Amino acid sequence: MITMDDTRVIGEARLLAGLDQDLHHHLSTYGPLPQLTREDYVQLCEAVGLRGRGGAAFPVALKLQDLPARGVEAVVVNGSESEPVSRKDRLLLTRSPHLVLDGAVGLAHALRAPHVLIGVHDTAAATSLREALMERDDHLAIEVRDTPGRFVAGEARALLSALEGRAAVPPGRRVLPTRSGVHRRPTFLSNVETFAQLAVLARLGSRGFSSTGLIREPGTQLLTIDGAVQRPGVIETPTGVLLDTVLQYAGAEPGPVLLGGYHGRWLPRTDGVTLQRPEVSAGIILALGSATCPLGEVTRVAEWLRSQSAGQCGPCVFGLAALVDDFARLTIGDRQGWYDAQRHLGLIPGRGACAHPDGAARFLTSALEVFDDDVRRHLSGQGCGRPALGVLPVPGGTR
Amino acid sequence: MNKVEIDWTRCDGHGLCAGLMPDDIVLDEWGFPVLRGREITTGELPDARRAILACPALALRLTSR
Repeated sequence: MITMDDTRVIGEARLLAGLDQDLHHHLSTYGPLPQLTREDYVQLCEAVGLRGRGGAAFPVALKLQDLPARGVEAVVVNGSESEPVSRKDRLLLTRSPHLVLDGAVGLAHALRAPHVLIGVHDTAAATSLREALMERDDHLAIEVRDTPGRFVAGEARALLSALEGRAAVPPGRRVLPTRSGVHRRPTFLSNVETFAQLAVLARLGSRGFSSTGLIREPGTQLLTIDGAVQRPGVIETPTGVLLDTVLQYAGAEPGPVLLGGYHGRWLPRTDGVTLQRPEVSAGIILALGSATCPLGEVTRVAEWLRSQSAGQCGPCVFGLAALVDDFARLTIGDRQGWYDAQRHLGLIPGRGACAHPDGAARFLTSALEVFDDDVRRHLSGQGCGRPALGVLPVPGGTR
Repeated sequence: MNKVEIDWTRCDGHGLCAGLMPDDIVLDEWGFPVLRGREITTGELPDARRAILACPALALRLTSR
């Protein structure tokens, strides 16, 4: 595991204001957690337009309102953070576990949910949470569970499946956790950062929370930046910060930028781009630089995306394998590879139990658009003259 | 407002559906169904139900949304 413990803050530090603190120091940094009702949480989340921080950016208030008035089974913290570049959730779990627990526990009390389940697949995160739990007395059944680490296993319904001891794969039916989650009972499930934001929001109130960031979705956000940058790591910024500001702050080389991780999009240009949901997704920014072969990099990631399929759905299994082959042929100048890639990219979206084929197709489609000049150079048979350096991190790959 | 839906975790690409519902389903190059997304009219419902029951993997279903 690459350690990227370097953290920085642009503007006001909220989620990163109290790292590596025991409960006593944590409470003196943030103050006690107010006891709020379910209506309080709905109103607060609505007032600040809080959205889930796991990637889908679903409004938290709507998720809360979809829960039945009584009989909520559990609050689930999705700590699987399966995007290989993302470090923000692991950072919170290992270095500010009390903040995440505050968010989950506060909400569980408000919803009268008897259980809090935290799914993680990182030993350091699990240890840190368990140590933090020893210091606390929340009058709730709180469990930390180790879940498998594959990309698709981090999908909300795959996590629920894993928490119940079944295979960590998304089910074939589109069911909402708020209706049928843990033990097929109503469940509130969200990403680690969402709970940390809730813990901050409960204390600051909507007015205090809105003192920074965008009007539409105020507050701060955690970003993970990596690739061709001098200072990779997690950064806390106000929402709506300029991408160029973050790139400059991290010392990024000029060149193409990928926003939203390996299910995200390549940006044709960075100037004027602001970082907000849903585009920023789980907050991953990858700078490619100009020394590496973009198509070679994208093909390596395509191969990894293929390997991460749960293997349940035909179009995902066969389609991603075909695309890896198409991109490999395209890179060595085979025009037919380019035609096949176009066809296959149109054939995959919307044809799986989860969003993995859609996300992979989105990533690859935007690569063909943004790297159009490189595609032409490769198809002319000369290549781009640059080696694939492995700037885009891929688990198990060499860097 | 009836439509055919596929449970992709069940579908094994047997391909019977494309033969039974040629107006609604074609097969891709790997033999997996591609839905045309057309609505099933009330008159077509009995035939559609029979086709859905014929799927060897029970991967088809009718949604009314």
